[in-house]
Amino acid sequence: MKSQNERKRTFLLIAIPILLLFFAFNTVPLIRGFIYSFTNFRGYGSFDWVGLRNYVDLFTDTRVGNSYWFTFKLALVATILINILSLIMALALNSKIRFKSFLRGMYFIPNILGALVVGYIFSYIFTYILPAITHAASMLASRTWAWLAIVIVCAWQSIAMNTLIYISGLQTVPEDVYEAAALDGATGWNRFRYITFPLIMPFFTINMVLCMKNNLMVFDQIMALTKGGPAQSTESISYLIYNNGMNGGQFGFQSANAVIFFIVIVVISILQLRFLNKKEEQL
Amino acid sequence: MAGLSLQHIWKKYPNGYEAVKDFNLEIADKEFIIFVGPSGCGKSTTLRMIAGLEDISSGTLKIGERVVNDVESKDRDIAMVFQNYALYPHMTVYDNMAFALMLKKTPKSEIDKAVREAARILELEKVLDRRPSQLSGGQRQRVAMGRAIVRNPQVFLMDEPLSNLDAKLRVQMRAEIAKLHDRLGATIIYVTHDQTEAMTLGTRIVVMKDGIVQQVDSPTNLYNKPNNIFVAGFIGSPQMNFIESKFDGATLEAGGVKFELPDEKAAILKEKGYTGKNVIMGVRPENVYDSKAESLCKLTSPFEAKITVFELLGSEVQLYFDFAGASMSAKVGQGSRAAVGDSMSFAFDVDKIHVFDKETEQAIIH
Repeated sequence: MKSQNERKRTFLLIAIPILLLFFAFNTVPLIRGFIYSFTNFRGYGSFDWVGLRNYVDLFTDTRVGNSYWFTFKLALVATILINILSLIMALALNSKIRFKSFLRGMYFIPNILGALVVGYIFSYIFTYILPAITHAASMLASRTWAWLAIVIVCAWQSIAMNTLIYISGLQTVPEDVYEAAALDGATGWNRFRYITFPLIMPFFTINMVLCMKNNLMVFDQIMALTKGGPAQSTESISYLIYNNGMNGGQFGFQSANAVIFFIVIVVISILQLRFLNKKEEQL
Repeated sequence: MAGLSLQHIWKKYPNGYEAVKDFNLEIADKEFIIFVGPSGCGKSTTLRMIAGLEDISSGTLKIGERVVNDVESKDRDIAMVFQNYALYPHMTVYDNMAFALMLKKTPKSEIDKAVREAARILELEKVLDRRPSQLSGGQRQRVAMGRAIVRNPQVFLMDEPLSNLDAKLRVQMRAEIAKLHDRLGATIIYVTHDQTEAMTLGTRIVVMKDGIVQQVDSPTNLYNKPNNIFVAGFIGSPQMNFIESKFDGATLEAGGVKFELPDEKAAILKEKGYTGKNVIMGVRPENVYDSKAESLCKLTSPFEAKITVFELLGSEVQLYFDFAGASMSAKVGQGSRAAVGDSMSFAFDVDKIHVFDKETEQAIIH
């Protein structure tokens, strides 16, 4: 009995400080942000309550609309690209090749680097190295191509984690199932289509959901590469919330944007999970 | 259906390990061949080489008249039942069985006919829309068989297909497989480490040890005329008793007892120069008798031994005792009154004594 109480005390001693920290630095700002979304707070000075006006204005603001369009375009393209490439990488790194462990380690390096660091490295590449090679203007300066540069950087960094998840998925497929499939005549594409992919579907689901969520919240890469430019053409929702909320005197308005964005991400994630879960094979 | 020919087949791994050494075997059409041996003897590797799942290091493998060394698994016209069944977990029983035909682009009506026919034979009709995870072990095993049957292959390969079943189901499925062989008239190569399966199913048995074929023979011959000590010990349960003894020109002497041999057997030993030499005498437990009980066969001189273990197996009793430095067993009738610690008088059936060379371990006389 005594030891059980001691266990309980230890548990509380560990849990309570974390809970307080989480509440102070996560929950309180969340609630305050929600409250500010009903005000015209500029980030400083006094403010008035404006009811739902911020929410109504969100739907008519062209800049917000553009940022949603850009973010969704980027998230969709990047998610598809990342998943295709990481699946190919995982298949290669799961096959019987030399230096497999070394290569797996190498390909995971992008994941341990900070997004800002990666962003600045690529900014240098896009600004100085690529134009020197191609004798063309920097992608980052082009309204047409800048978003693609961000997709490339997002993909380069995300592929590592997705590949790792796919590799662990591939390792759950028993070898004798592949052997049976080989005897049945399933090789190459047929093997992937009928055996491998259905059996790693749960891993595909988790990768798609996490990847979509991460890409919808793209921020660091934009901060490092374009700062939303040129001409606001690469302004993601997160970047807009940060930029206009903190520096543009729209704290209340962008808080409303953040609330809506939060709901959008939750809804998309749930829809994705529902749709993909239906496709998953109940093993 | 077709026969197979395995000529000087070797399997060498890059690290130099030789899993199969100079394997030679001609398998006739419709034969039921069993590969049997302890773990690591190379039986599964040989089967996998036939299936095309392992490369053949050297030698020639023919299925029918076609050399298939470099032919892909799917083009060898074989079907395999795996130890863990290797069913496709995301497919229904129907799809598991239809998969190979679907890949071959067989018309749907033909696939349906073949699957339903296999399901009827294997009594799987009611579970066709279930997934493997919803089936019992026996049903999964039958699905694995069904998947092989629908393909109507030239050769069936089975890699310890019953080893994951409980004892009762194993006996039942063993009978099912035997019936299936008769019904399909198929050439079957069956790997097992269970000598009961080997003895009951096979038309011929290949006994392997350390990658080398020890003997290829019918179950009866393997039991009655084993080539060497390994085969004699591996086939039969409990295993054959082995006693080191000295041949004096007429009898085998062990533990101070002279065991008589039939004249013709003694003559062979003499002729081969074993007089005065040590040999290994082999006697199966069912040929060890209570010397005081009535027996229809001619018995050797009796010897006394103390019972160490008494096992009642229902229809018979198994007794364990030590004699001449060897641990031995005897199968006696249910009515035996022996008890652990009792001293009992035993004798061997003179005509059922096997003799093996002590050095080469090869059989000299049966």
